[in-house]
Amino acid sequence: MLRITGGKIYDPANGIDGQVKDLCVDDTGTIVSSVDGGRTIDASGMIIFPGGVDVHTHVAGGAINFARAMTPEDHRRTQAFIRTQSRRSGLGGMAPTTFATGYLYAGMGFTTVNEAAVPVLSARHTHEELADIPIVDKATLTLMANNEIMLDQMEAGEYERAKNVVAWYIWAAKSYGVKAVNPGGVAAWKWGSDAKQLTDPIDGYNSLTPGKIVTMLATICDDLGLPHPMHLHCNNLGAPGNISTTIDTLKHLEGHRAHIAHSQYHAYGGDDWDTMCSATVQLAEYFNTHPNITTDAGAVLFGDTVTITADGPWQHLLYKLTGRKWGNLDVENETGCGIVPYTYRPSNLVNAVQWASGLELMLLIRNPWQVFLSTDHPNGGCFWRYPEIIQLLMCADFRSECIKTLPDRIKSKITLPEIDREYTLYEVATSMSAGPARALGLTRKGNLGIGCDADIVIYEEEDDVARMFSHPRYVIKGGEVVIEDGDIRETPEGREFLVKPSCAPETDEFMRPLFEDCYTMSFENYPVEFERIENPNMQECVNASEK
Amino acid sequence: MTCTLGEVKQRADFIVYWGGNPAECHPRHFTKYTIMQKSKFLPRGRKDRTMVMVDIRETKSAKAANIFLQVKPGKDFELITILRALIKDQQVGDEQIAETGLTREALDDLVQRMKSCKFGCFFFGMGLSMTRGKHMNSAALLTLAAEMNAFTKFVAMPMRGHGNVTGADVIMRWQTGYPFGITFNRGYPRYNPGEFSTVDVLVRGDCDAAFIIGADPGATMPQPAINHLKRIPTICLDPHVTHTSKLARVHITTAAQGISAPGTAYRMDEIPMPLKPALKSPYPTDEEVVRRINEAIAQKPFWLPEGSQPQMISTQV
Amino acid sequence: MTVTLHLKQPPSVPLEAEVLSPNVMAELSNSEIRSLVVYHGKRQVPLEEFFDVEGERSDELILHGELTKVRMIGRAMSSGSITVHGSVGMHLGARMTGGSIEVHGDASDWIGAEMMNGFIHVHGNAGGQIGAAYRGALAGMKNGTIIVDGAAGLEVGMRMRRGTIILGGPAVDFTGLQMKGGTIILLSGAEIRTGAWMNRGTIISLKPLQMMPTFAYASDFNPTFVNVYTKRLKQFGINLPFTASQGAYQRYSGDLSVPGKGEILVWQPA
Repeated sequence: MLRITGGKIYDPANGIDGQVKDLCVDDTGTIVSSVDGGRTIDASGMIIFPGGVDVHTHVAGGAINFARAMTPEDHRRTQAFIRTQSRRSGLGGMAPTTFATGYLYAGMGFTTVNEAAVPVLSARHTHEELADIPIVDKATLTLMANNEIMLDQMEAGEYERAKNVVAWYIWAAKSYGVKAVNPGGVAAWKWGSDAKQLTDPIDGYNSLTPGKIVTMLATICDDLGLPHPMHLHCNNLGAPGNISTTIDTLKHLEGHRAHIAHSQYHAYGGDDWDTMCSATVQLAEYFNTHPNITTDAGAVLFGDTVTITADGPWQHLLYKLTGRKWGNLDVENETGCGIVPYTYRPSNLVNAVQWASGLELMLLIRNPWQVFLSTDHPNGGCFWRYPEIIQLLMCADFRSECIKTLPDRIKSKITLPEIDREYTLYEVATSMSAGPARALGLTRKGNLGIGCDADIVIYEEEDDVARMFSHPRYVIKGGEVVIEDGDIRETPEGREFLVKPSCAPETDEFMRPLFEDCYTMSFENYPVEFERIENPNMQECVNASEK
Repeated sequence: MTCTLGEVKQRADFIVYWGGNPAECHPRHFTKYTIMQKSKFLPRGRKDRTMVMVDIRETKSAKAANIFLQVKPGKDFELITILRALIKDQQVGDEQIAETGLTREALDDLVQRMKSCKFGCFFFGMGLSMTRGKHMNSAALLTLAAEMNAFTKFVAMPMRGHGNVTGADVIMRWQTGYPFGITFNRGYPRYNPGEFSTVDVLVRGDCDAAFIIGADPGATMPQPAINHLKRIPTICLDPHVTHTSKLARVHITTAAQGISAPGTAYRMDEIPMPLKPALKSPYPTDEEVVRRINEAIAQKPFWLPEGSQPQMISTQV
Repeated sequence: MTVTLHLKQPPSVPLEAEVLSPNVMAELSNSEIRSLVVYHGKRQVPLEEFFDVEGERSDELILHGELTKVRMIGRAMSSGSITVHGSVGMHLGARMTGGSIEVHGDASDWIGAEMMNGFIHVHGNAGGQIGAAYRGALAGMKNGTIIVDGAAGLEVGMRMRRGTIILGGPAVDFTGLQMKGGTIILLSGAEIRTGAWMNRGTIISLKPLQMMPTFAYASDFNPTFVNVYTKRLKQFGINLPFTASQGAYQRYSGDLSVPGKGEILVWQPA
């Protein structure tokens, strides 16, 4: 039991903007109206947020684990967590180890993370890895948009079948929703080419286009009543002039819910690398007029990182541009991923445009319930650098100082210098917690109302915003004080959120022959056993029409 | 630069085996995953695929190949390096090519086939990775595969030995960031193959105890390493009597993984497979033994005084 | 004034002693030096458990004893000097940025790995990975000089970017692997795969080498930079032949597989 008194509460889910109020937590880790006894934390003069929610990150699974193997030089130069009797050791850096991932997220007040790309075939691996990430609660999204069994059904116009296939895969992977990456493009990449236009048929298909996949998959997610809508990584990532593809994609989503991942990478104008510029004004305008879609920034921070995405074609381009290491991993019938270590430099015009675009999107999209804090970890920067982004959002002066360090030629390519908006604490709380929790459909997260999970962060108010957000005074996860004065106190295990969408019973029989034709694993061994999930937490699917 | 076996089964129309003998060492590999399989993209199965075998002698696997290239022993690294030059249209002398035991015609043909295939795949075995040059031989083939992607789709994959080597590798990576050759003596993981890898530690006599699970170094490691294992307290967990268990001070008999103990095994392409035990064993599983040893150790006072270490350090040694 | 340390008895498992560095000792009293922490395996023990310490507050460090299991001596040092009478363990002078180290005995692997500057002279034999990049890192030594009078192991100068390595005895395989710059001088040649995958830089060998197939013979010549080197190396008693009357250097360029612009010069006496 716990009582927190005297703090200024920022709880956008309940419209509370800095009012002083007490918070009470019962023994089950739930926020209640009153408690008897237990510890009291005096939070007078402090700021209270709901625990942070990362809507899009890559912290576990085959790809990030491949990235770890590729970057021993980074592990050596980064921070190290030292083992104690109650805590495991680990390394931070570009691709932190599992235990360190939990400590680092909790250390900056994040208590829920969404691993946004899980191939079904290695889902078992991802879940085993997630079980080794302490403290935070977790959700996973299954990669679907290049699944050949599903694409074949779509091509044949068998919508119901395609829907059942998706539902079957979600439960087989024990995941929480659907991630679509570069629809049709990864399938084409496996032959060394790419899908650039939404209306051109995909290599190997007669009539199926990326646009059709997008619309159908979004419809399927809505019809299955998934708590989180389709999580879409658009085609043509990172290419100059891709804004037209992105807007075109968004038009295919009219009337549907959707979450657009790391939109910074999809908001460029120009024709080539020389003329590339920010097209965020156009994209933000679309979001401002279409409340049905949410997005996360996928902001870029200058410095070293490792880029990993299921977007193989983009990765190969990066490898050719940088001439550095390159890893690529293709997964049968489903997806692929590429891994390239990369350094974003302010002196590089392209990188500078990317840096500005991420911030522009967060500032130009007016409703903080629509645009969330993310770096697409580790692609744009590491998650533990989020406080730096918050500082850039909250302090226009600091922002203009940073812009001054960019090359002069940048001025005509970006809008950032003309934006004077500064995020308020209330807006930050929306963008890093309440908003992503709502988009994920996690009703007990990002919310300090009665009956919600007691995931609470308490900051000591400071002028140095980056410091304040990277050093919370207390972090409370499920009612337990996990961080206090910068020290890790407890390392409870987190839960995993799952959904079981309804699926026609004959799907198993339908899948079996197709499956055995293209996979190298026996059909029975393929689905992840429910018993293998540590601390599973089932969430309901509610069809939109039944709401 | 890798992919899962299903990708090979579905798409690979050009498969090169280098220094491995799958016909005899991985008997189900050909039929289950690679050349014999028919697929949507390669409907005629074996007829749609070209198989190349590179080895120092004509093994059983070589007989299954369309093309057999006999490389002189110890010239794999040179041969791969020549191929890297040839794909970039660099001039390599006939004499230099001849040193590898092959002809220019054979290599030109190979390069042409590599560039014109739709999906190429290298599998490499111990004949490459455990001969002179070791990790650099594997690195050479991985680099060649990466560079081939400038022309077409190409991947490379090691053919691992027995046991769940890949599984250990995968888990060490997510828990420590490194696949093997790790020390924890400073309280956090540090990595340096050659310094901290098991065989080197044993050969130099750098450790004063050994704990061995699911391996038989007593049969496979060089004599100085075995001698050191005999000198120090060695504890061995194994379902069977092995060379190592015979020289160990303590041998704990455990249930056999996959037969009477459940778990997960990682396939050579890092795809996890559930192990569903068919039999019951009177012996404890490895996991249970390790857990109980851990619990016993936790009862002892910690080897560092409370609070003598920071939780986190920002610069490592 | 110097700080002199005598090893009491060889450690049973490796002793990690990056504190054996002039930078650390320069401002410390004798008792402070004695209580510096070293890692004996996982145990943290005071330096005096393994060493007798004489002297204090000096950046001249003298070590005596059989130090083959003592690692990281002079690691990351930036100034001062270390003289060792005996043999040393791995990572001697790794990542050092200045100062000098002299070993009257043998050294092990990774000496001068990723060093930025400074000078290391080993009078005996050394191990592998001299001046190399640690696994996964893009660049090895970036400047400085390493001289080994005796033989050396694998991967000498792997991915080095600048600086000079001189080996009196023979080296094993992969000398100058993926070299990006700098100079390696082999007075007694090397085994195989010398200069493999090199991008830039120079390897000079006074003995015939087995060349990688991906190096192309360019010309015979007597480059002027060799006599510049010779002048510099005289102080260490090393003589490189350079006049046309003595012979010529055969120049090979490669590695074609990269394709790289490195060069290997092999001395051909007249």
